[in-house]
Amino acid sequence: MRWRFSPARFLLYLLMTFAAILFLMPVAWMLVMSILPEHEIFQPVPHWIPQEPTLQNFQELFKRAEEAPVLRWFFNSVFVAGTGTICYLLLTSMAAYAFSRLQFPGRNVLFFIVISTLIIPGQVTIIPVFLLLQKLHWFNTYYALIVPGLAGAFGVFLLRQFFLTIPKELEEAALIDGCGRAGIYWRVILPLGKPALATLAIFSFLGGWNDFMLPLIATNEIEMRTLPVGLTIFLGRYSMQYGLVMATAVIATLPVLVMFLLFQRHIIRGVVLTGLKG
Amino acid sequence: MKVLSLPPHRRHEALVGYLFIAPYIVLFVAFVLVPVVWGFFISLHNWHVLGEQKPFVGLANYRALLKDDLFGIALLNTGYFALLTVIPGNVVSLLLALGLNARIRGEDVYKAIFYLPVILSVAVVAIIWRWMYSTEFGLLNYYLKVVWEFLRLPGEFQPVPWLNSPQSAMPSLALMSIWWGAGGNMLIYLAGLRAIPEEYYEAARIDGAGGWARFWHITLPLLRPSLLFCLVMSLIGSSQVFGQSYILTGGGPHYSTLTVVLYMYQTGFSLYRMGYACAVAYIMFAIVLVFTLLQFRLLSARQEE
Repeated sequence: MRWRFSPARFLLYLLMTFAAILFLMPVAWMLVMSILPEHEIFQPVPHWIPQEPTLQNFQELFKRAEEAPVLRWFFNSVFVAGTGTICYLLLTSMAAYAFSRLQFPGRNVLFFIVISTLIIPGQVTIIPVFLLLQKLHWFNTYYALIVPGLAGAFGVFLLRQFFLTIPKELEEAALIDGCGRAGIYWRVILPLGKPALATLAIFSFLGGWNDFMLPLIATNEIEMRTLPVGLTIFLGRYSMQYGLVMATAVIATLPVLVMFLLFQRHIIRGVVLTGLKG
Repeated sequence: MKVLSLPPHRRHEALVGYLFIAPYIVLFVAFVLVPVVWGFFISLHNWHVLGEQKPFVGLANYRALLKDDLFGIALLNTGYFALLTVIPGNVVSLLLALGLNARIRGEDVYKAIFYLPVILSVAVVAIIWRWMYSTEFGLLNYYLKVVWEFLRLPGEFQPVPWLNSPQSAMPSLALMSIWWGAGGNMLIYLAGLRAIPEEYYEAARIDGAGGWARFWHITLPLLRPSLLFCLVMSLIGSSQVFGQSYILTGGGPHYSTLTVVLYMYQTGFSLYRMGYACAVAYIMFAIVLVFTLLQFRLLSARQEE
């Protein structure tokens, strides 16, 4: 494409850049504030370029590990989102393989029941789920933070749609070669299903990392909180120490930010394919 | 049993099938199916967490909700939030998509910037915007003042109280939510725009149609499926708004940001009235269900045309 100047295009670039600055400003300001010293935060004019950039907010965080164990919350978030994602991929890919490839009585009815629950908002079941977690004595455990999230129907739906597009001949060839059903699932379906599994993995991790309501109701010990809920506790305790609060918010954001930059194309394609919004 | 009457190799396949779905189905039954049914059952009881007895009360919780002023306020507030976010939010998404669709340089960078807020947790979003909205030190009031003085508007600039006044608290939460979510619908609109064949526009241009005419007579009608999908999904999403007001305002000031899900959370987890909270949840579910069925009808009507 050759560059030609036209007033309309110039205006378009101007508007788009203005919009981009508006969209970027809040996140950029969070990053800047986390490295501002206390006296530079409360200024009449925002210090976009810090005069004395400092890591003291981050250092200060770790000194308060007793009241606000940010490192522990970070570990919890990584563990819950990571383990949850692996388990979810395994469970839903097995179910999706059976629903797309194996014949058994009741298959279509079961699948219909599973996907019809996609229209039920998570908040509707949050109280019974809470009572169930108490009955199971899972309150304040990792089970409570991970297991309820594994029951969602979306992964089964997404993977089944994808597995249906894998040519049957590949499977038949494997059957003739003496491969069992489990072997086909492991050696044919999973490797060929990689694009869909990757999309599901990214969204499942983001969902687990950012989830707010389940960790809010499934835990009350400070050591068992995840970062999003920990952040709100932090906000309640140190509401005026904004450098500290922003440093915690940065810690809660950096992993997903890095993931977004790495898998940007994949995420953007995934949204369009699945109609799902993060 | 149906399985036993199958020929041997079919029977084997069926057994393998059941084994493959079993782990997922067990969790599905335990954490989706049972809670959905049990939640309705709970809503028919006076179910206090600490209470020894949980007496059956029929529809009394639902009847009490109809007379509950706070629930009425929560419903109205949630409707107000939907009004402030659904159409304005989709207009923003569509405008961004139209801009991106104009084959601009650096499209991927713009796209990533607009989508970036979507990947943030509601807690991070709330913390950033609490500072943006700070009356004294917030960026918004600072830049509004700069613009005010630049344009030499009459009088002194009065700082906007954003989250601190009942009039502006909900619009502030709505503005923040639009920023948070616009990127998702933008991508769906962009895909819809890219799917419109270029020939339509060329034919219209030959017929002498201007930019507006092309937008009204080609772009909008052909974008109808995406528009319907995004509008209804936004409506469903906005009727479940919770984290924003839970973290930033706690429902205040003067109940101006008390939403349905926040009310459910407060009755359930602060007052421990689980039966009543479940009734709130089921009324919300009924409303969402109406929107969902509406979407199915509209989208299938489209396919029959």
